[in-house]
Amino acid sequence: MSETMEFDTVSPASQPEALAAIRQLLADCQLELDSKIDVFVVVYRQGSLIACAGLSGNIIKCVAIAPQWRGESLSLQLVNEVVQIAAERGHFHLFLYTKPENQRFFTGCGFYTLVEVPGHVVLMENTPVGIQHYCQRLRMLRQPSNKTGCIVMNANPFTLGHRYLAEQAAAACDWLHVFVVREDVSFFPYAQRYELVTQGLGGIPNLTVHHGSEYMISRATFPSYFLKDKGIVDSCHTAIDLLLFRDYIAPALGISHRFIGTEPFCPVTNKYNEDMKQWLQHAHCPAPAIEVVELSRHVRNGQPVSASRVRRLLSRQDFNAIQALVPPSTLQLLLSEYAAEPAPALERYG
Amino acid sequence: MTLRRSMLFLPGANAAMLSTAFVYKPDSIMFDLEDAVSLREKDSARLLVFHALQNPAYREIETVVRINPLHTPFGMQDLEAAVRAGVDVIRLPKTDSAADVQQLEAEVARIEKACGREAGSTRLMAAIESASGVINAVSIATASPRLIGIALAGFDYVMDMQTERGDGTELFYARCAVLHAARAAGIDAFDVVYPDVNDEAGFLKEVELIRRLGFNGKSLINPRQIELLHQAYAPSAEDVDYARRVIAAAEAAEKAGLGVIALNGKMIDAPIVNHARRTLQRAEASGIRH
Amino acid sequence: MKIIKPALAGTLESSDLQVKVAPSPDDTLEVVLSSEVIKQFGQQIRRVVDDTLARLEVKAGLIIIEDKGALDCAIRARVQAAVLRGAACEHIDWEKLS
Repeated sequence: MSETMEFDTVSPASQPEALAAIRQLLADCQLELDSKIDVFVVVYRQGSLIACAGLSGNIIKCVAIAPQWRGESLSLQLVNEVVQIAAERGHFHLFLYTKPENQRFFTGCGFYTLVEVPGHVVLMENTPVGIQHYCQRLRMLRQPSNKTGCIVMNANPFTLGHRYLAEQAAAACDWLHVFVVREDVSFFPYAQRYELVTQGLGGIPNLTVHHGSEYMISRATFPSYFLKDKGIVDSCHTAIDLLLFRDYIAPALGISHRFIGTEPFCPVTNKYNEDMKQWLQHAHCPAPAIEVVELSRHVRNGQPVSASRVRRLLSRQDFNAIQALVPPSTLQLLLSEYAAEPAPALERYG
Repeated sequence: MTLRRSMLFLPGANAAMLSTAFVYKPDSIMFDLEDAVSLREKDSARLLVFHALQNPAYREIETVVRINPLHTPFGMQDLEAAVRAGVDVIRLPKTDSAADVQQLEAEVARIEKACGREAGSTRLMAAIESASGVINAVSIATASPRLIGIALAGFDYVMDMQTERGDGTELFYARCAVLHAARAAGIDAFDVVYPDVNDEAGFLKEVELIRRLGFNGKSLINPRQIELLHQAYAPSAEDVDYARRVIAAAEAAEKAGLGVIALNGKMIDAPIVNHARRTLQRAEASGIRH
Repeated sequence: MKIIKPALAGTLESSDLQVKVAPSPDDTLEVVLSSEVIKQFGQQIRRVVDDTLARLEVKAGLIIIEDKGALDCAIRARVQAAVLRGAACEHIDWEKLS
């Protein structure tokens, strides 16, 4: 009977002592404790933990119910509670990762499948019209074009490398769509990155710069992308992200080619580029294949230009070296917002 | 005489229970907007109850709404919703004095007028949940002509008394005080909720006690308890037989224009006739005790 | 009534429904209804929802409904609760709600 079950919440940050039981329950269900959970909804019966569901931003994960308590009633209450808690925290649009076999249950809880990596994982969202509405808006930005290209960039910050990639791609296509990764977890905030991309790509006539979205390299579609420093790459996540692109975003804009820079330094981006060929081009899928075009890095002074190199130089405040790697708009921002000393006159860097 | 043996509590936020509870046929249904509803659901529970009250399925049953106390941010809105939706009875929780009832009465009258509802058609009941409420039971019970009864609520009362629920000894004075106040005022008296829904024997023991004390009935939290309660309140075959003869004698006396009713050579007065009517009413509602 | 922020009301339990409302980016009114009983009662539910929204004078917004076989009275109540929350409405006009 439900009257003997008690619902509560656990905040990992302030109640680390409550995590041991959660970790154990997750382990019993072959799941790992995610380090990014903001709050857990927990269910106790006679003092012991029998179910939990975690919320990380607007993503539900770490959902576990002790085997003897599985059944529609408790799982439904658990989902209900986590949805309510999310709403209280201001999250109404929710994503959920689960195993394919649980898909039917969550469908009954108002979640709709976005993509499935067969046998591995399903990404769902709690609206029947979320991605549809997004694609409708994209379709309005479609351009008449026979060969339509796309670049997704984080631009953290925008460099001459990004400019070079876009120029090459735009020259190879009738129209080019450039998306800026929207998730605000990079060194440079999204508003600045978007602004730098718009300024940095000025003068290329056949392209559109788009705001990124939660459906594209976001914490929802690709959590491990933002764990770059740890060198963690989860191929299920790249598959999710890339299938979303192939199934929904590319058809909405008529994208037939996706352009990427080769990445000699960053293992995550490198792996992502490899996976891109697999999921966009080769994998069997009802949506049309997208040709992945790899362009070699722009090289300056014998070294490939990359945003990570700019950030390293910035930490040393080496604006002379940065100047060679970025367009004037990026340099100006770095000087005005990120210089440790009062900003020197821009003219010095001509 | 309205039969009020069972008053079934329904949590106001539970759509499923609100949609089906009439099938259990308690004497009264009490939609709870107070303790059974969490703070975040106060607004949506109020709307659920507002619409459930207007559902034709509840027309045949006495409806009661337990509102939040009027000094909370929710109480007045609860009252607006319930009175406008046509509730039969408002249950005021945590009644400590006659002034609480009078304040409620004034607000109810105001809302009746505002929404065009017949003046006085919303009845009241007061729940007594504290030592001072018990002490003031007499003045509470006579505070408004709209009052149909007073109820003892055990959970808060025992806390106020610095004790806990036990074999009933802890409630003895409060039960007697509330009951006497109700009877002296000519209104109904309702006993506490029995908290353990799985303890049928304990429940029946408590029902037997309060029935003998003279309570009209009891608040219930589980539909399973309704039939048990009604059965316990059903009269025996002998009671029914005697009551029939009392009523027959009364009718015969009235036909003959006699001022005095006699049965088997003994004089019968009004309380006996009233008691006989109640016995037959209970028998009609739930048969004869097995 | 104008929906100015996203809001949620109701549950996914049987005989209940969950209603989500959000401001509309292009000022249109869109109602998306999913129900376990859509074949038999879809039109009826839709009528109750439309009527409830019209009485509240909701002219724009995205209204997403997951119905679990709720009665009309529960549908009205949940739609109203979600709209009132999304409109940050403090003063309730009961006449419009009955």
